[in-house]
Amino acid sequence: MKKSNKISATELAVLQHLFAAIPEEMGALLGRSAFSSNIKERRDYSCALFNASGDLLAQAAHIPVHLGAMPRSVEAVLTDFPALKPGDVVMLNDPFRGGSHLPDITLVSPMFLPGCAEPSGYAATRAHHADVGGMSPGSLPHSESIFQEGLRLPPVRIQREGNLDEDLMKIFCANSRSPQERKGDLRAQIQSHCLAEKRWRALGERAGGVEGLTEMGEALRAYGARKMQACLDKLPPGRWEQVDFLEGADRVHARTALRATLKVEAGAVEIDFSASDDTVSGSLNAVKAICESAVYYGFLCLLFAEFPGEVLPVNAGTFSRIHCLTRPGSVLDARLPHAVAGGNVETSQRIVDVVLGLLSQALPGRFPAQSQGTMNNVTMGGLSGEGAFSYYETLGGGAGAGEAVQGADAIQVHMTNTLNTPVEAVEYTFPLMVRTYAIRTQSGGAGRQRGGEGMIREWEMRIPVEVTLLSERRECRPSGAGGGGEGKAGAQYRIKTDGCSEPLKAKGSWTFAPGERLRIETPGGGGYGEVGS
Amino acid sequence: MNLNSKNDSTFRIGVDTGGTFTDVAGWVDGAFRSWKLSSTPSAYEKAVLEGARQVSGGEAVQWIHSTTVATNALLERKGAKTALITTAGFRDVLEIGRQNRPDLYALCPQRPLPLIPRERRFEIRERVTSEGKIEVPLDASAFPEILSQIKASGAEAVAVVFLFSFLCPEHEQQVGRWLREEGFRVSLSHEILPEFREYERSSTTVVNAYVQPAMSTYLSVLEARANVENLQGLQIMQSNGGTISPRQAGDGAVNTLLSGPAAGLKGAMKVAEASDLLSNLQLITFDMGGTSTDVSLLDGEIRLSTELQIESFPVGVPMVDVHTVGAGGGSVARMDAGGALQVGPESAGAHPGPAAYGAGGPPTVTDAHVVLGNVRAENFLQGRMTLDEDAARREMESLGGQMGECSAEEAAAGVIRLVNLHMENAIRVISVQRGYDPSSFTLMGFGGAGGLHVFALAEALGIPQVMVPCHPGVLSGLGAAVSPFRRERSHTLMEKWRDLSIDELRTVTDGMREKLAEEMKGAGEISTRLRLDMRYVGQSHELSVPLDEKDLSSAAQQFHALHAQRYGHAEPEMETEVVTLRLQGEGPAPVAELPVLDFRKAGDPVAEIREGEYLRKYLKRGDQVKGPCRIFEDFHTVWLPEGWQVKVDQVGNLLGSRCGGEG
Repeated sequence: MKKSNKISATELAVLQHLFAAIPEEMGALLGRSAFSSNIKERRDYSCALFNASGDLLAQAAHIPVHLGAMPRSVEAVLTDFPALKPGDVVMLNDPFRGGSHLPDITLVSPMFLPGCAEPSGYAATRAHHADVGGMSPGSLPHSESIFQEGLRLPPVRIQREGNLDEDLMKIFCANSRSPQERKGDLRAQIQSHCLAEKRWRALGERAGGVEGLTEMGEALRAYGARKMQACLDKLPPGRWEQVDFLEGADRVHARTALRATLKVEAGAVEIDFSASDDTVSGSLNAVKAICESAVYYGFLCLLFAEFPGEVLPVNAGTFSRIHCLTRPGSVLDARLPHAVAGGNVETSQRIVDVVLGLLSQALPGRFPAQSQGTMNNVTMGGLSGEGAFSYYETLGGGAGAGEAVQGADAIQVHMTNTLNTPVEAVEYTFPLMVRTYAIRTQSGGAGRQRGGEGMIREWEMRIPVEVTLLSERRECRPSGAGGGGEGKAGAQYRIKTDGCSEPLKAKGSWTFAPGERLRIETPGGGGYGEVGS
Repeated sequence: MNLNSKNDSTFRIGVDTGGTFTDVAGWVDGAFRSWKLSSTPSAYEKAVLEGARQVSGGEAVQWIHSTTVATNALLERKGAKTALITTAGFRDVLEIGRQNRPDLYALCPQRPLPLIPRERRFEIRERVTSEGKIEVPLDASAFPEILSQIKASGAEAVAVVFLFSFLCPEHEQQVGRWLREEGFRVSLSHEILPEFREYERSSTTVVNAYVQPAMSTYLSVLEARANVENLQGLQIMQSNGGTISPRQAGDGAVNTLLSGPAAGLKGAMKVAEASDLLSNLQLITFDMGGTSTDVSLLDGEIRLSTELQIESFPVGVPMVDVHTVGAGGGSVARMDAGGALQVGPESAGAHPGPAAYGAGGPPTVTDAHVVLGNVRAENFLQGRMTLDEDAARREMESLGGQMGECSAEEAAAGVIRLVNLHMENAIRVISVQRGYDPSSFTLMGFGGAGGLHVFALAEALGIPQVMVPCHPGVLSGLGAAVSPFRRERSHTLMEKWRDLSIDELRTVTDGMREKLAEEMKGAGEISTRLRLDMRYVGQSHELSVPLDEKDLSSAAQQFHALHAQRYGHAEPEMETEVVTLRLQGEGPAPVAELPVLDFRKAGDPVAEIREGEYLRKYLKRGDQVKGPCRIFEDFHTVWLPEGWQVKVDQVGNLLGSRCGGEG
């Protein structure tokens, strides 16, 4: 008999709440006390708790793309620092050492119970910092090497035994176009780690020490595994294949294939991405953690649909029978020195399309048509009155229609759920004016259920502004399901001061003159079912 | 607001309407009276007037009303057909919102439908910049066409929201004049919420336009009939804990969405103030009903928030900071696929209701109480409803079976434990997460099930003192009766702290004071308070601190201190900016005392009717009761666990503390 069987149904529910409440509270604190609009207005961050061996115990539902990535960060930290001391905080962003792309700064800290020399668990936060240097403002450049993307941090201690490493902080801030903001954001992140340890100690007290706490963690993982298993058991045994494409990610090849196989066997699931194309010359390479995030996201959606309104345990147990394979050197398992800035934001969306495509073959009728499949990353920067400014925004688009519902219009889909920056906040803060913010009508795919409409956002520059775009689904359109039509592809234009407009590429950097406008039209979602059926 | 020569505090009653009950409390010729009756949802004024008559006894009284009319219009989507006019290029702001989806893992994310569909959202060319300058003048030539379309659409109310209108309201005012000439009810964003962030301002303005006609109609019916009943000087309870005139409530109905909860909190404050056993007003309240529980924190005064959502629509006007969780007496208990017990958020509602209602309902929190003997048929809702105790037990037994050979009692205890956990989390959100230590507060439990949970929650949160209020059934009516007249004005400054000058501030506050004085004419002596919403440059959430016009620097110091309290760190070397200036004006607070209870004397009935069971109505001032026991009253049971005791204070509040502590 396993130990966890001693824990009652009531206690199990109580534990799930107690553990889940900690990353939720960390996130609430981080979101409210950080400085950059990226973290505060857009809420681009995640928080999680791990046990002493680095297994995920709880992760707050913030940004799905961080799901698989956080465990990788803890793993890297444990390898480099097997004996962290109380008050240590490790910082990293190296995509090849537990990170995903450079702007995502992850902190990992050990948590100790009073009187214990060994950590009993770890807290982690990951936040998208608005700028970490590199060749263009916002650090999501049109790059061909990681060395163009900004400051790369392997796991390093930003705080040692409670003392901030001011030297490291100086280096970090000096490499950003918005140094003050970096410092404030990092301080806010560290603060939520202090909070985590406080809460962890309270849990430890309740558990009566490390052993009790470990037992609780085990019970939670077993709970996560049982609940997900109830979902996996609905999948018929079998093997399915799916392919989808990235556009213009490589200098030579117009299309880059993401190929995957889903194998369901004896209640376990394996998704193998090994047959995907090789690494590309541009920045759309992903690291394996991103594939894992996309896969976990797909199964959490299934769990959410299966048990509506219930608590979703998000821990290592939940994903213990879901395996994800990649091929080193492929576009989904990039190695140094490949560029990866866009893998996290764009390729991740395409991987979800592949994963949901596989699942919809296994469970016909349960999954919606494809959504916009991009985040439409826009970064802008330049020199305004008081210094450099740096502005990052992702744009919602059409959601795919479902069997029984129309796709939602102009909404964030899948791997991101960040808020917009309000028009009035943009204009107060940056030398920009927003001219249009609208639903892009007639862009959702036709069908019995119409696909969601895309979005239009148009900015006018008040000073010379450097613009970088990273977007997808400008050629391959989001597909419909069950006979539904495709959503419209996205598009972007430079509107000159004389009113003429010039189409721009999906990925690139340009300098805009004052008075010129950038207009982005995001893709629509696919429709579901034949019209009139 | 003239009430002849009578002191208005001694002839003043409050009437609160909820979905189920209407409660009335107040003072008539100095004597405290109260009454509770069923609400009449088909025509709320019926129960309101009937209740008021019962309490006033036909005397001329001034009355304050907290109402759910605006709230219900919104919740039930029964508001007016509304149109929107906005800056060209931005008619979809209302629908896009903040572009995020409510459920992260929903395969087909769905947003609630906007209150105004696209075909009734109109654009007009105009533009104001972030500096408050008119860049594009209002295109008057386009208005006639828009007007004819609005007329054709059948809309009766119109919201007008232009970008940066709070910096330069000219265009909104112009369009407002045109629309009013045509007989429309108009809500202008710079009047409803003169603050930046276009979506939140649009949402608030549109909600106002949507609920305003229902509110105006209701109030005119009510006022017309009130005269007959000798009810005078009607005031309406706002969400901020103050009152306004019916005309102001009609025009700005969005300010009344939390009218009832605000009245409840005022009532809670009043009874706590009246206690001779309570040394401060540090209160955490929780109001537990059938489907949800409202929790709030009072730090000597009611705390307001401008970041609440009602029905997922942001409403940016200051409202009592109430946090709601979907846990209540009707919350359904069941086992999930992972082998954990789940309680809520589903509710059994009124039909079929909990299993104990005998209509085939599922096992709920109420059933757990029935099984544990905390809710008795003889005390249940004054015997107005029968209880099917067997059905409750059957459901708990079956749940216990699924939980793994648990008895009905064990299952029931688990259900109570979990519902308490939901409320505990809610209390942590409003206390710990905002930098308050709950152990320095008194926990006050009310609502139908408050008394059954308050001690267990105090135990779990390490709260040493508990209060079960006197007059629990009419707390909201009581709160309305003691609420002062209050108006708030706000003004977006949006500038660096170092650029803010006393002169500039004076110009702004003078303007605000002038408008405020106009709105509060006849309300007696007005006291005003200024607050400043501040943040570090680059942040996007503000903290609100008191502002002393003569000593600006104290606001900055308080901001750093508050930031440290809330978020654990302050950055005094970083630059701060001021976002919104708030002015609050308040009329004189009504002076009225709650009746004082007698001490126990010979011949008084014994309160302990059976061992461990007390009737609250027989408890006297100074009486002490030790747990474990149950204290029964109409509509309400107090469960006092072992290790706790209560003492009755001078007005009848039960003050609970741990045995061995101070009593």
